Amino acid sequence: MARPALSRVSWAWLGIMPFFIFAFLFLLYPSSTLIIGTFKDSKTGVFTIQNLLNLLKDPYILGAYWLSIKISVVTALGGGIFGFLLAYAAIRGGLPRFMRSSLMTFSGVASNFAGVPLAFAFIALLSPTGMLTVWLKAAGINLYAQGFTLYKFWGLSVVYMYFQFPLMVLIIAPAIDGLRREWLEASENLGATTLQYWRYVAFPILLPSILGSMILLFGNAFGAFATAQALTGGQVSLATIVIGAQLRGDVLNDPGLGYAMAFGMVIVMTVVMTGYTILQRRAERWLK
Amino acid sequence: MKRGGLLWSWLWMILGILYFFLPLLATFMFSLKALKGVYSFKAYQNVFADPKFVTSFSSSVFWAILTIILGIIVFVPTAYWVRLKVPQLRSAVELITLIPFVVPAIVYVFGLVRTYSHPPLLIVNSPGLLVAGYTILSMPYMYRAIDTGLRAIDVQTLTEAAQSLGAGWGTILFRVILPNIRVSILSGAFLSFAIVLGEYTLAQYLAKPAFGPYIGLLIQNKAYEPAAATIISFALTWAAMGILDLIGRGRQPQLVGGH
Amino acid sequence: MTHLTLSNVSKEFSGTTVVQDFNLDVNKGEFVSFLGPSGCGKTTTLRMIAGFEIPTAGLITINGEDITNNAPNQRNVGMIFQAYALFPNMTVAQNIGFGLRIRKESESVIKDRVAEMLSLIHLESKAGSYPYQLSGGQQQRVALGRALANQPQVLLLDEPLSALDAKIRVQLRSEIRAIQKKMGITAIFVTHDQEEALSISDRIVVMYEGKIEQVGSPFEVYNFPKTAFVANFVGTLNTAAAEVIDPLKGILSMDGVQFVSAENLQVKKKGDAVKFSIRPERFSFASEVKKENVLDCTIENITFLGSVVRIRVKIGNTKFNMDTFNNPFLELPKIGDKDQVTCSREAVLVLDD
Repeated sequence: MARPALSRVSWAWLGIMPFFIFAFLFLLYPSSTLIIGTFKDSKTGVFTIQNLLNLLKDPYILGAYWLSIKISVVTALGGGIFGFLLAYAAIRGGLPRFMRSSLMTFSGVASNFAGVPLAFAFIALLSPTGMLTVWLKAAGINLYAQGFTLYKFWGLSVVYMYFQFPLMVLIIAPAIDGLRREWLEASENLGATTLQYWRYVAFPILLPSILGSMILLFGNAFGAFATAQALTGGQVSLATIVIGAQLRGDVLNDPGLGYAMAFGMVIVMTVVMTGYTILQRRAERWLK
Repeated sequence: MKRGGLLWSWLWMILGILYFFLPLLATFMFSLKALKGVYSFKAYQNVFADPKFVTSFSSSVFWAILTIILGIIVFVPTAYWVRLKVPQLRSAVELITLIPFVVPAIVYVFGLVRTYSHPPLLIVNSPGLLVAGYTILSMPYMYRAIDTGLRAIDVQTLTEAAQSLGAGWGTILFRVILPNIRVSILSGAFLSFAIVLGEYTLAQYLAKPAFGPYIGLLIQNKAYEPAAATIISFALTWAAMGILDLIGRGRQPQLVGGH
Repeated sequence: MTHLTLSNVSKEFSGTTVVQDFNLDVNKGEFVSFLGPSGCGKTTTLRMIAGFEIPTAGLITINGEDITNNAPNQRNVGMIFQAYALFPNMTVAQNIGFGLRIRKESESVIKDRVAEMLSLIHLESKAGSYPYQLSGGQQQRVALGRALANQPQVLLLDEPLSALDAKIRVQLRSEIRAIQKKMGITAIFVTHDQEEALSISDRIVVMYEGKIEQVGSPFEVYNFPKTAFVANFVGTLNTAAAEVIDPLKGILSMDGVQFVSAENLQVKKKGDAVKFSIRPERFSFASEVKKENVLDCTIENITFLGSVVRIRVKIGNTKFNMDTFNNPFLELPKIGDKDQVTCSREAVLVLDD
């Protein structure tokens, strides 16, 4: 009968309404104003792609994106490699059991410990009067004389690593767990050395997960804001910093450009998440 | 485990430990130097005595509690409903809950401010917007935690059993479902708490008192107090995670970094 | 000629002895099963042959060569795991050819050997498939092909069928046996399923708590169990306690009921307590044919199991299971009836504890 079925469907959808209303008001609608604002001329309100074009023509903004991409790649690679080695050491490296759970808890803390406090911690460590700088000077190594500074690109990268490796550790741990012991035994049984095991079996199996995790790390660094702001006071012009400046009305007077920048970031992040999802599917299929 | 392999493992572990602890050590040492020439906890005393600390910290705690409550009110019925009645909407809902993951905080704040700072939607100055924003930011974690909890109990059967005994929807949700996912909700709550307390961007740009911007302010004006505040912030996060660990042994949702 | 020998092999893990004084000589081409419950040491012993565990004491040799302390990748034994352990990132053909590639064999040799194995395990059409695309049974066959491609001296199988459906299990075990016979390769098969062990082995090693309880052919182990454990573990069994009445004539008394056994009881004295066992299928109704033991009983329960009818009878104060073949024209007694059952002297087995 048509009538009861109809009322059952609408009743079910009603239960979901609060969520969609909430999400619409505070997530989807604000996000859509981003997209709309990107394609709208801020003065006349007419549909235009001029904002995007201006974005792509502005060397300052392109430079900001490029810098963000650079730091994201560097910290994704560095954080990914070190995080992987650390995770493998704790999980399969023959270390005492408690090290694994300590590492996991600490990684949970450290991956969330970003922003102002993290910036300050590194200032205390590596600023010109920082603890480590002083120790190294006493040992004969003068960091700042060598050209290092905490407040530029490489210093910021070192700081970013603080939340990048723990993130890598947390994400890659399940994949390492998924490396069944029998695969190592089977390969040994068939005559392979440890190196050959890594080359033919373990590494190929882990590769999708490692790549996927690094992509996630890339996204994490790309969207980071508070840490860079607090550490460099806005001196290192990352894309996020430029957007933040726009919010304060500092740099640009063209809101359309601000929208376009934000839109650009969302595009990048969407590509990142899509890549991650595809690689995750691949990895799951094999590790079934 | 072969000898060479073990050495390698210890190497990375030690490097990791050094990297993690040195900044904290530096901060801690620095925080003790408030009084010239003497190690003392003066900086901490200053922080705790600072009225701005009290307001910002208690404000953050207050926002966090509101966020958690709002999260429970909105997400529990939703997750329940999706699992029970509208599984076809599952992917759509999950996609929405993952958007805050994808959109960088600063971009989100940008959109939020732009949207709600013009009439007729001029609510950019209301604390309600802040709490809603926090709820959205913690949505990926809170929703995932609740969903994980629901997955572990057989929602369908429990509901049918309750209905056959005469229970209405309210009773089912509050007396049957909620108590059984208490652990998961607690996990989500602790994560949300950690997020709100550590959050900087949203509070700063919505110009509301909160712990994150407070520390930012300290950095600009004081020398030793920020160090103390950093250590306090770290200790709080550690405590929250530690409790989380105790509660949700093995069933935690993934912890992804903030910025 | 013994191909594989284990002499006084023991294994200790942090104070607990998991395998104790294991001695076995296996001939070339023999199929030997290690049978026992979980924790009896059978898998540990197998892993010592494979090299994944090193014995705390004792010697293992293959073809006269001492391999006790060799690394697992230097033994040339083939291992089949319970969880298949196929490399998920390689196709079936690549999995099978893995060992040969490690040994740097030429491409043509690898190609030929892989094709040979594929036809042996009847999976030619799946050469390009990945493990996740195969069923459990297929994966295990690939594992077999992979191990055999290396032409190992001994094939070791660690409960290979435990993870599979019942029907596949039965099918695959005869396939494994057929392939093993065809290739004439020595095989050690670990299982906790006594039916499996009985059906395909040349010899069975029954293990319990780290020690060997009995070694023998399936027929021997089933019909002439040496210890109570073997009698209980292999096949279904009735066991009861009795007192020796006459050691020379082999007469026992249980609950006042007399049993005559063909066993040599001369080491015992009158009055000694013993345990004896009778296989359910050795009982029959006395109305058919009378054997040496004729026993009064009460019918307690009748269970129809398909081809077998299991009748639970009470003799004296003890209950026994009696199995008889199904027969549509069989007149079965009713529950509560008093009846008589009979069994031969040889059926009454006296056990050393």
